[in-house]
Amino acid sequence: MSEERQQQLQELIEFLRSIQKPNKPIEQIGADENLVTSGLIDSLALVEIVVYLENTYGIDFSTHGFEPERLSSMTSILDFIEQART
Amino acid sequence: MLLDLKVGNLTEPVSGRSWDGPEIHRQVARRIARFKRHQLAAGDRVFLPFGNRLEFFVELLAIWRLGACAVPIDARLTPFEIDTLVKAALPRLAVVDDATDAAVLEALGAAGVGVIDTVDTGDEEALAGRSRLDDDALILFTSGSTGAPKGVVHTHRSLRARWVSLREQLGVTAFERTLCLLPTHFGHGLICNCLFPWLSGQHLFITPPFKPEIIMRLGALLDEHRISFMSSVPSIWRLALKLARPPSAGTLQRVHCGSAPLSAHVWDEIRRWTGTRQVCNAYGITETGSWVAGLSDADCTAEDGLVGEGWGAVVKVLRAADTSAPLDADSECQAGEQGFVWLNTPALMKGYFQRDDLTESAVIDGWFLTGDIGFMDAQGRLVLRGRERDEINKGGMKIYPADIDAVVERFAHAADVCTFAIDDAIYGQTVGIAIVLNQRDDETVRALHKWMTVHLAEHKLPSRWWIVDEIPRTSRGKINRDAVNAACIGLPSLELPKILAGGEKA
Repeated sequence: MSEERQQQLQELIEFLRSIQKPNKPIEQIGADENLVTSGLIDSLALVEIVVYLENTYGIDFSTHGFEPERLSSMTSILDFIEQART
Repeated sequence: MLLDLKVGNLTEPVSGRSWDGPEIHRQVARRIARFKRHQLAAGDRVFLPFGNRLEFFVELLAIWRLGACAVPIDARLTPFEIDTLVKAALPRLAVVDDATDAAVLEALGAAGVGVIDTVDTGDEEALAGRSRLDDDALILFTSGSTGAPKGVVHTHRSLRARWVSLREQLGVTAFERTLCLLPTHFGHGLICNCLFPWLSGQHLFITPPFKPEIIMRLGALLDEHRISFMSSVPSIWRLALKLARPPSAGTLQRVHCGSAPLSAHVWDEIRRWTGTRQVCNAYGITETGSWVAGLSDADCTAEDGLVGEGWGAVVKVLRAADTSAPLDADSECQAGEQGFVWLNTPALMKGYFQRDDLTESAVIDGWFLTGDIGFMDAQGRLVLRGRERDEINKGGMKIYPADIDAVVERFAHAADVCTFAIDDAIYGQTVGIAIVLNQRDDETVRALHKWMTVHLAEHKLPSRWWIVDEIPRTSRGKINRDAVNAACIGLPSLELPKILAGGEKA
């Protein structure tokens, strides 16, 4: 994993900590695991992830559209950031 | 008397299932026969801890045709909460579906309630028409699921008064193809979004409630089913405006938004997204059969908090803030003067179930004290400015702080507690809690969290906790929840995930 991607992952984990349900430690969630079905976040919290990506990376969802599966896991979110910025 | 309600078609857009009039009548007749086999009698109560599917609506009609009373229940309640409601309402039967939690089934069985699966009907059909206008038709529990339940009782007469009023004010044309995304266990979703159009012969499209994946494809859903009307709450629009593509077929004729009044900005955004100017706040309270005021013609300038005129109701803004004395005409506020919103409507509930004390504190001489604050503008339209009701509005679902306080107070190491609303970007409001513990170690916090998950449905669990030395009180010893919020919100809240994770490692 590149240094930049590692940094993005750490920042993402910190952000997810701020919106997660209290009874599911993020350390127990694998990078490829579904954030909603694992019980880490409520599906409504996907909107908060969208706002985080807009504010942090300047991603415009009106251009990229919104597909929930592209934000389903930490890995897919990092992939999405990479694709959106290229 | 026979209920002469003219039903429309029913469709589940997500599953693709659909029932027309003859099928609906067949399904109702099978359930009447089944209820008769279970000796359901006039005056009995039936719990419905499921909803938002075709079977829910035919169960409702079958219950009514036998003169019994339906009690729709939030499927997310814990067995403890269900048990509390069972002890209060003493239902003869509960109808469940395949999604009903096994622990809830166990709780119902242990309480001696007969449990029936909604799809278990048999082929026998029967007719019945035992309902009378003043029979209890619906009980909707709005709070007290952890202690002393507060159930709104509507008779067939009060429900009919609501639907007739809406038909007179709004007609039915715009409701020809109505979409409901809201839960069927509370007034807005059930009485007005679903039953008003459906029992006026219009086609009802029902989805599972508050599903983000459905809201994210709302535009496509509206186009695909040529939806002409939908109701909503602000949290639906927080998602849809951001993430869903707008409809393109131009079928929407009217959109309501309830639960909390729209700001002018969001109102205009919804108009742009939906493609219709007929978007308005539908002011509704379960006690008045939900939608009780709004804009019959909504093609006007959007204004913060603007509701409109009464729909089958007289709306007054008075200086009087309680029901301790008869209302006085002199207490009516002038146009533009802020006061307390009172309603007089033939759709008013019969009262709170077995709680005359609560009914007397809310109703006097047929006038209902809403707990909302507002004013009448120069055109005689109601404008809302706030509320004094003790509730948290989480995405349109009302959560009562007292219910959560009542659970925490029973925890062995809790010395004092105050639950309050916190502003939230997605839900509008969410739940915060300040607690005084006589043991402040992590193990006690974990035990309290466990205690709360057993007694409270997940959506009621506080998202932020503050462990404090004391709960500030007024000079009269009362808790001011806003003041507790103000005292806590700038302070770091408990790192609950870390504390709970610590327990799992141990």
